[in-house]
Formats: sequence, C-alpha cells, structure tokens
Amino acid sequence: MGNEALVFVVMLATFVVLSLRLKLPIGVALMVASIAGGVIAGLGVPISHLVEGTFAYLDEILIIATAMLFMKGMQKSGLLNTAVYQILQIFHNKKVFLLLSMMALVMFPGLITGVSTPSVLTTGALVAPVLLHLGMSRSRAGAIIGMGSIFGMLAPPVNIPIMIIGAGIDMPYMGFTLPLLILIIPVAIFTTLFLGYRHIKIIPWEELKKGMPESNFSQYGWKLYLPIMFVVFVMLLEKSIPHVFPNLGLPLIFLGGSLLTLVTGAPFKFSPMSKESVKESLPIMALLAGIGMLIQIMTLTGARGFIVVNILTLPDIFLYLGIVISLPLFGAVSSFASATVLGIPFSLALLGQNEIWLVSAVAFVAGLGDLMPPTALAGIFAAKVVGIKKYSRILKHCIIPAILMAIYGLFVIIDGEFTNWLEWFFLGFPIITVVVLILIIFFVIKLIRSPKKEKEGTVLK
Amino acid sequence: MKVLSKKNLTGVIIIVLCVGIAGFGSIEFTSQWEEDAVYAGPGVTEIKNLSDYFADLKGTAGDTKVYVLEGEEPGGTVFVLGGAHPNEPAGMLATVLLIENIQVSKGKVIVIPFGNASAYTHTEPQEAYSREFAIETIEGEERTFRFGSRYTNPIHQWPDPDIFVHSSGQTLSGVETRNLNRAFPGNPDGYLTKKIAYGIMELIRKEEADVSIDIHEASPEYHIVNAMVAHQDATSLAAETSMELQMENIRISVESSPERLRGLSHREWGDFSDTKAILFETANPSQGLFRGRGGSDLVLSGKDDFYLRAAEMDLLYVPYDEEGKPIEWRVNRHLRSLEMVVEVFSRNNPGREIQFKNIPSGERLVNEGIGAFLLSGE
Ligand SMILES: [Zn+2]
Repeated sequence: MGNEALVFVVMLATFVVLSLRLKLPIGVALMVASIAGGVIAGLGVPISHLVEGTFAYLDEILIIATAMLFMKGMQKSGLLNTAVYQILQIFHNKKVFLLLSMMALVMFPGLITGVSTPSVLTTGALVAPVLLHLGMSRSRAGAIIGMGSIFGMLAPPVNIPIMIIGAGIDMPYMGFTLPLLILIIPVAIFTTLFLGYRHIKIIPWEELKKGMPESNFSQYGWKLYLPIMFVVFVMLLEKSIPHVFPNLGLPLIFLGGSLLTLVTGAPFKFSPMSKESVKESLPIMALLAGIGMLIQIMTLTGARGFIVVNILTLPDIFLYLGIVISLPLFGAVSSFASATVLGIPFSLALLGQNEIWLVSAVAFVAGLGDLMPPTALAGIFAAKVVGIKKYSRILKHCIIPAILMAIYGLFVIIDGEFTNWLEWFFLGFPIITVVVLILIIFFVIKLIRSPKKEKEGTVLK
Repeated sequence: MKVLSKKNLTGVIIIVLCVGIAGFGSIEFTSQWEEDAVYAGPGVTEIKNLSDYFADLKGTAGDTKVYVLEGEEPGGTVFVLGGAHPNEPAGMLATVLLIENIQVSKGKVIVIPFGNASAYTHTEPQEAYSREFAIETIEGEERTFRFGSRYTNPIHQWPDPDIFVHSSGQTLSGVETRNLNRAFPGNPDGYLTKKIAYGIMELIRKEEADVSIDIHEASPEYHIVNAMVAHQDATSLAAETSMELQMENIRISVESSPERLRGLSHREWGDFSDTKAILFETANPSQGLFRGRGGSDLVLSGKDDFYLRAAEMDLLYVPYDEEGKPIEWRVNRHLRSLEMVVEVFSRNNPGREIQFKNIPSGERLVNEGIGAFLLSGE
C-alpha cells in the first residue's frame, strides 16, 4: 500500500520543484510530474493514458478559449473601458458604491469564463489605474483585484470547480446559483470595504477623469453593449426554458458574442485579437490539460484511491481541518486541481446533508487555491497588473479575507442547519437581506475607520 | 534556402512531437474499435442486428448483434441485455456465457451482449481503465474482452449539452446525454444514444418479450448494489425470485424502480411495453473510486486493498473481505438470478414457459473459472 503514497509524493515533489525552482510553465510541470508518476510506479511512460487524460476537460477548455475571445473583443471594441467610465461616473462620489462597483467590474469576466485570470487581465487591468489614482497602494489594489477575480471565478453562472466535483460525484450542475451568491456576495462586500475603504479618497470627477480609461459611448451609443446583452439574453433563455430553447452551449454563445463585438464599437481586426486571446488563455488551457493528465496517472497508479480512502477514513475533526487547510494548499497546482483531487473525496465523505450547499462551499474554499504559489493564477497576474514584482505583498493583504472565506465555507460544510437558516434568511426576506448587507457595510466601515496609518506607502499621486 | 528561426524551430519540433504522440496513442485507442469475438453456441438459432428492429441504426456505431436462441416448443420470451455500461464487465460476460452455452427447449431467449456498442470503443478520461482483459479457454485460447466507458463515445455523439433534458422533463448533468441507461424509452429522431435506446424498446415490443433483464454492475460504494431493481409490474416476480435465491444462500435485495427516476431500463421498459422489467446489480471494484492500482487483474479478481480498508471503515454497501469480488462470483450471481427469474416466471405463467439447459452452474463457475465455459475459435 505504501507504493501509492510514494507515487503521490514523487508527483507532487516533481511538480513543485519544476514550477517553483525551475519556473517551468505550470502545464509542462504537470505533464512532467505525470510522467514521473508513471515511471516511479514502474509503468514506464504510459503515452495513451497521458493523451487520454488531457481530454478530460475538453469542454472547459473550449469554454475558456471562447470566453477569452469574447472578453478580448469587448476590450477592443471599447465596451469594457466605456463600462468602467460610465459606472464610475455614476458612483464616483460615494466611496462605498465606488468600491463596490469596481469590485463588480473586476468580478464580471470571471462570472463568464469561470477562471480568475481573465478578470485580472481585462477589467482588472482597467480598474487598477483608477484605484491607484484614487490613492490606493499598489499592493492593496492588487489584493482587491486578485480577490475579486476569485469571487468572479466562483460566482455563477460558470463555476468550474463545481462542474469538476459534480462530474466526480454524479451531480448535475444545477441549482447552484443561489447558494453561490449567498456565499460570495457578503464576503465580496466585506473584502472590498475592508481592503479599500480607508485607502481611497473621493476626488472630483474632473480630476478623476484624467486617470481613467476613455469612454466610447458618445461615438457608438448603446450599440456598444449589444454583445454582452446578447450573451446574457441567450444564457438566460437557455437556463430558464431548457425544454424549448435549443442548447447552444457556452462556447457557441461566446463565439457569437465575440463576433458581435466586431460591428458594435471601435473597429479592430479579428485575427490579431484572436491571437492575443489564445496567447493569454493558452497557459490556462495547458493547465487544465495538465491536470487531466495528472489525475489520469494518479488513477492509473492507485494514488487517487489512496487519497480518496485516506480522506474518507479521517475522523470528522480532521476532515474539517483538512478541508480548510489542504484544499487551499493544494491550490498550489490550481483551484481546479484541488477540486478534482481533494474536492471530490471531501464531498463524498460529507454527502448526506444538503449536497448543493456542501459542494458550493467546498468549491468556495477550493477557490482560495488561486492565491497559492507557485501557480497563484489570481495573485501573480494581479501583481503584474498593478506593477509590483513581489506577489507576496499582495498575498499579505489577502490573508484576512481568505481566512473569513474559509471560516464561512466551513460553517456551511459543518452545519446543515446553518444553510437552512441562510436560505430562509436570504430568500424569505429579501428586505432583510438588503438591510443586512447594508449593516455589513456600515459595520465594516466602523471597524476600519479607527485611525491607523497605512504602513506600506507607495501611494501614487 | 531560409533557415528556420530558433523560435519557429521549437514550434516545429513541438508539433512533430505532438503528432507523433497522438499517432502513437491512436494506435492503442483505435485498437478498441475492433469488436470482441463471441462464438455462437449450440443453442443459437439466429444472429440478427439491432438495426433489424430499428433500421436507422444500420451502419452506425450503435448497431449491435442480437443473438436469438429459440426452442422447438413454443413458449414465452425473455430478453437479456448486457453491456449497457461497458465498464461493468460481469453483465456482458454473463450474456456471453448464455450465448455460448445454453440450449433452449421451450420458448425464446434473446441476448444482446454489447448493449452500447459505441461505449465499448473508448474509455473515460481520468478513469484510467485497462482497455481489455483476457480469459483463457480450456483449449488454451486467450479470449479478450474490452472494458469500455459508461458513456457513448463522444466521437459518435458530441458535444454534450450543459443540461440533459429527458423527454419526461427530468434534467440531469450534460454527460448523461450519452448514458444508455438514462435514454430509455429512446427517440427514433434523437441522437445516437436515444436511437440505441429506441432500437432496444422496439426489440422488446416486436418480440413481445415477457420478461426483460438489464444486467449491470455498480461500484461497491454505490448505494444500490447486490440488488434487483424491479418495475412495479415485475415486483412480485422479483420478490419471489429473491426469496428462492435466499434459500440457495444467494442474498439479493429487491428495490422497486422509483417512479420519478426517468430514462432507466427498469422504469421505461415497463412503462413503454408489456414486458416485466428487472435490472441486476453486482459489486465491481474495478469501476469504483476507491480502487488502487488494479488494471485488468482487478477486473477479474475484484481484490483491492483500499476497498478492504473502506470496508473496515464501513464505507461500502456490500460485505467485502480478502476474497474480493471475483468475476466468477459476480457472473454467477447474475446467472443464478436470471435462471431463477425465468423459473419463477414459467411456473406462474403456463403457456408462456421458457426452458433451457446447460447454463453454467455456480459450483463449476467458481471452481473451474469462466474460461471453462467460453468456446474457442474454429
Ligand atoms: Zn450500470
């Protein structure tokens, strides 16, 4: 039985050394780790298994490829910068709304792609200069963008960790919208205000405008927003009347949306745009292919069974500890890998309570994995966007929101009653929901208003 | 001549490497497209195709052989489906043993060994199944059988919708669109899996099968295992069978087919034809999530250390010990259940009796192995 453990350790060690020390691309590191697993298990290089594994996430890879195309199209056509401009125009003189609207903007691409990187690279890149212009430090802005990209990745309609866990435990991807919103929105509000409220200042619109992306609205009008309206409309139709409306699938919808961006705003050439979007999404597609390989080899060598059985036989207390510690830690490979390798057995071990809430919460905690180096999809790109070298400076700001996320998720996982209560609370009384959200906002503001100097000060003027 | 730049050269090397690896891999993948040999035993009176019952299947990856074993005397008809899920080998093997061994004297036995022929042509990513396993016959011939996927091959039916909507309105995750045992009663105008399901429905209706059996396996951690699942019209038949089996020390529980769960054989066969529909399950560790490194050995022996540990921790729905769950044991349960269902049905339905002989006995199966009952070529 020790053999499987050895295989797992060798695979993990190979991955960490290759990605952390040799700085190989994550996808390549995963491939080499898979090969190492096969060799150490005495199976040689099982080529057909390596190839087969890469096909596990073919659908997700197509979603990411086309969603990235769509995001790029919206960027090039002027939709994104106009949206940032117009939203800030409305909210610029109220700190709370200003911050929350920027959080929403950062989250948006993640909602659609189900990946954190597009959030950071598109709207994140647009919001970053605004935050800096408002007086926030680079690392803080990076933390807001990084956390926002994780919230976006986890928020509905597309949540890939849940799709992955669902495939592993025979659970359809349905009914997750509400639990996910109830999990994410309060934490997103808290995080934004906690990180941002004391660190921006309201400046007059005329001055703010100087640090802002331009608006193309006067040129193109509402037509500019057609692509996103099209995508949302078709998605809603598909979700609300699946028996009538044909299932087009996310890739086709996104492709339609990206073609629309060609004619609804600033003119741009499709081919360089698509090259750029493939270049940016390639590492993530390679990551998914690599995870597919890794899991296939783990199954082949018995390492998957080893992990699953060991997790399932843990006493409850370790099970819960394992969830809050190992799920984010394993995110070193990526939150998707964490969902696959650990999320599935953890969910299996706890089946029996409200399964949709359970899986939502497991995915919620696993999402933190995107902060974890060496992969740290959310953090490392955020550092790039705000222009700092050391990603650890961003991570430092994320610690408290991350702990809060883990605890909130854990509460949902441990106590089925708690989820009933949450559902009753948020669904039964929409007014209460709004009031509570406002109270959270005020509480956070009160909490952080106490004068305390920002130590780290690369404030841009 | 212009020399390639370093960057382009790397690109070319990687492309060549990819093509090479894909080519090499595809040799193994395509080897699974070849059908397994099944030899017609002395009782086989006719070999048909599923497309004889539903012509649209002709020439598709969903067409599959139908073996008819008809007795001299008229009587009832029993239909047996194996291989609806090709990663559940005991079901398929039980049907192959029927085809190669039994001799029908009264009534008709109709057998499909590879229910979802398309799903036999590939395996599932991340499951790392061994593509085949081999059993040696008495003459020393190595009979190989494929171990496939639970789902129709995506090269025959793709892409999956996000949500699979069954004709009843029930929704499941998209991949279930390719699950034959969620596709009944099928649809003549549907995609391949629905067409296969429709063909099987047509067979049951046209042959006026009195009893229809769908043979499966399940992983030992799945809650319905070691059981018969019966349509409400077949409940008393299944209950009586289970009681008689118990007297022979074979414990098989009876579950009734839930009304709400649509698309499954035990539900739709009964609802959309006059047949009595029952589904059999045994425990198969080689399809489970807990299994260690097993490969084709595990398929046959059913022995696995991790399952043993899981059993000690009370995580399984079947008793599991050092003996494992050998294929002979699993096939024997299916054959005994089938034999008993037919016996009970014949006893209670004079005029519609089905009688056959030479079905492999439990004792010989366990002592001599499956190979003792598999024919050799020529
Ligand atoms: Zn089955």
